Amino acid sequence: MTRQTQPEPCAPEHVTFELNGDVISQWVSPATTLLDILRGSGRITSARAGCRIGRCGACTVLLNGQAVPGCLVMAWQVSGCTVETAEGLAEASDFAQVRDALATESALQCGYCTPGVAVSLVSGLRQQQNGDVVDLEEAVAGNLCRCTGYGGLKRAIAVLTETSSET
Amino acid sequence: MELKPQPGMAETSVLERIEGRFGYATDQQHLPGLLHGAILRSRHAHARLLRVDTSRARLMSGVRAVVTAADVPGLNRLGIVVRDQPVLCEDRVRYEGDAIAAVAADTVEQARAALEVIDVDYAPLAVVDQAETAEQMSPLHGESNLLAREAFERGDTDAAFARCAVIVEHHYQTPRQMHAFMETEGGVAIPDNNGGVIFRVGCQSGHRDAEQLADILGLKPSQVTVEATPTGGAFGGKDELTIQPAAGILALQTGSPVLIHLDRFESCRTGIKRHPVSMIMTTGCDRQGRILAHRVDALLDTGAYASLGPAVLENFLDHATAPLYRIEAYSVSGRLVYTNNGVSGAFRGFGGNQATFAVESQLDALAEKLAMCPLALRRINLRTVDEPGSRGQVVRWSAPPTDVLAEAGASPLWAPAVSDARRRWLTGTGMAMGAQGNGLGDGLPDRGGGRVSLSAEGRIRLEFGFSDYGQNLAEAITCLVCETLGCVAGDIDVVLGNSRGPDSGPTSASRSSVLIHGVLADILPRWKDRVRDQAAVLTGLPCDQLYSGPGGLFAGGRQVLSYRELAEKGQPEQTRVDASQAFPVAPEGNQLVGRYLQLQIATVARVAVDRLTGRVRVTDLHHITAAGRVIYPPGYLGQIEGAAIMGLGMALSEDMPTRQGRYLADNLDQYIIPTLQDVPDQRVDVLDNTPTTDRFPVRGVGELGIEAVAPAICSAIEAATGIRVRHLPVDAGYLLAELCAQEETCS
Repeated sequence: MTRQTQPEPCAPEHVTFELNGDVISQWVSPATTLLDILRGSGRITSARAGCRIGRCGACTVLLNGQAVPGCLVMAWQVSGCTVETAEGLAEASDFAQVRDALATESALQCGYCTPGVAVSLVSGLRQQQNGDVVDLEEAVAGNLCRCTGYGGLKRAIAVLTETSSET
Repeated sequence: MELKPQPGMAETSVLERIEGRFGYATDQQHLPGLLHGAILRSRHAHARLLRVDTSRARLMSGVRAVVTAADVPGLNRLGIVVRDQPVLCEDRVRYEGDAIAAVAADTVEQARAALEVIDVDYAPLAVVDQAETAEQMSPLHGESNLLAREAFERGDTDAAFARCAVIVEHHYQTPRQMHAFMETEGGVAIPDNNGGVIFRVGCQSGHRDAEQLADILGLKPSQVTVEATPTGGAFGGKDELTIQPAAGILALQTGSPVLIHLDRFESCRTGIKRHPVSMIMTTGCDRQGRILAHRVDALLDTGAYASLGPAVLENFLDHATAPLYRIEAYSVSGRLVYTNNGVSGAFRGFGGNQATFAVESQLDALAEKLAMCPLALRRINLRTVDEPGSRGQVVRWSAPPTDVLAEAGASPLWAPAVSDARRRWLTGTGMAMGAQGNGLGDGLPDRGGGRVSLSAEGRIRLEFGFSDYGQNLAEAITCLVCETLGCVAGDIDVVLGNSRGPDSGPTSASRSSVLIHGVLADILPRWKDRVRDQAAVLTGLPCDQLYSGPGGLFAGGRQVLSYRELAEKGQPEQTRVDASQAFPVAPEGNQLVGRYLQLQIATVARVAVDRLTGRVRVTDLHHITAAGRVIYPPGYLGQIEGAAIMGLGMALSEDMPTRQGRYLADNLDQYIIPTLQDVPDQRVDVLDNTPTTDRFPVRGVGELGIEAVAPAICSAIEAATGIRVRHLPVDAGYLLAELCAQEETCS
């Protein structure tokens, strides 16, 4: 029982999108995943191939501001879009807030899943800023962590929820 | 005392991890000249290899090398204990993850495309897929599929059973759990231009891996370096070599660095799993509840190769003797059999938690038969700190087991649950206890070393061979060094997991913290003396007035020399202190049995069972640990919480079943590990009565948290529903059917 993991090759397509503020323009097979484009770019390591089926959340990035698993987004879908990863978000104030909460509450051990977790949380906070009712625990429900048992992450979310309700 | 969450160290490494800049082995995709490797796995669970033809693959675009068994330069075998697993199979495959050939190409796609055109002719062999009948089947290795049989006996078990007032006998089954580390197996092998190879790879034992790799690659040990770079989770699953041999052979053949990173499909198919155990346990006691007799007959499916199976069997049996409890006579035996069901090996708990699941369930069953409180039954049977261990060996607990039990009895989780208005959810509370030893045990050679020095830049540099896969070792080391030297975290560099550095032994068996504490206690005072001597010369102050502190050396409350100045003006290389020590064993008595340093845990669980679906939700977990001193509180808490949720997964959702020797799950959509939505609130209370004079106040807690979770959950399910589940993971369909049957009986 083996499921196919590699798409059939098809003719390359030209894709242009914005990655962390820079324009990326390249020829790729339209079925190349955004995850592979990012990792192939040589500058992104925060998005990681944990399962390649959209299950683990280790490749979570923002696509036009929305948290998505990079492994389920195809090249043809990103043309004209904005893509932000943990590297690009590092300077943002809400990412800093998330980073501080994760670090202070020891919400990580090996840290392999953590950039994806942080991006999901930033996305949740931004949705809250826009007035949406978002439960941050639900925002990270798609991010698997095998080390921590999520204890520190729950505490980090409690801190973030407290701070965001104060502001 | 409740272990309250405390602010973690905002180390640079923590921030790098969060931002994704931490540099795991599999992130090294852009080394100059990097080639990508891929491994051809067997299409059959058991077959003869008739022909492996790589001629078409060699002609594929971008392909730089294709290697088969004939290209293994040295020993074509791997294995920590028994080297029985081919690096690349010669004439036979024994599981569907067996490697047959490997390719290096310019891109991953090219490498995988080349695998597709390697022609392999197989002659399928009968698949040994049932552990129960494996011994009657034609052997995978040698003369028989029985790899090991071991028995521990104490007293006259038959006679003791004859005196029992109550006897319970049940069959228990535990699942084939997968480690499911988030970073799948991977890393890079880099030729060093001198005939040797440097491996940067996620692993658990750089030194031991380097020895094996030298044999496989036909190199001298000095020609192989393993840099156990930060590893994205391991849990025992990266204890054996994974991709290193193939990457190394390809790197030597091509003269280029070769990266191999398994995808999750391949990781599921090839990676080591937890041993599934099928066991019958018979336990008897007198009318007062004193356990007199205990018998265990267990069968462990070790899969196609030995790996650490024999050691797992030993630790399983050790835990099957019910080490926390005084039992007059027992007869505990287990068989470890080869099958074509993948490979089983090391996994957090190492066989112990499988046994504890059954032992603790047996105690509840006895209590029920006697209409006795399960905690009271445990109380009268628990050992005292002065008694020897269950195998007659000298052991050292860090707190009296009855104290741990008393704390569990006082847990707030025992308060009656408020049932929901429509009685959809049935709630209940249960508990279980567990013991866990530190170290390799059983008289196995077990040593570890470390080093301290002042770097040329004036940093206090601590080196250990342990690999960093998320255990907060660097933080724990930093805490201990700050405590001893009076310095601050900013003065310290911790370097882990380089096979060129000190050999600390494997990063397993909850042994790192113990050795780190012991080695630091040895090397830091000596380092301090050397530094003081040098500072005395440089400052002209008498040695006994100088002491180390934040940023440098002090005298009379004033800093007189910074570490940097000392490094610049003194002789920093002269401050280096190396030490290695044996893992603590019993000072007297039989040191060849079991483990000396013992830890305990009691886990209290509260669950809610859905009457409509049979689904179990664990709403609370409360752990009481007696595991020595806490060095780095966030790390300790994280280890207990993380291991407990791994135990929750084993209890409720995780299993890797096989059919005809093929795994039935191939990714994380079919193999279900807990998400944040599945986990309860947890509380950890630490019992630490370790006297300050204790020579071994620090114990390793990496495995303790998983020990008692599954039986505690099943105990709580029984409290909620009256149904005892003895086969894991808990099958919601089974629970639902039993609940329906109950309701039919009632109505």
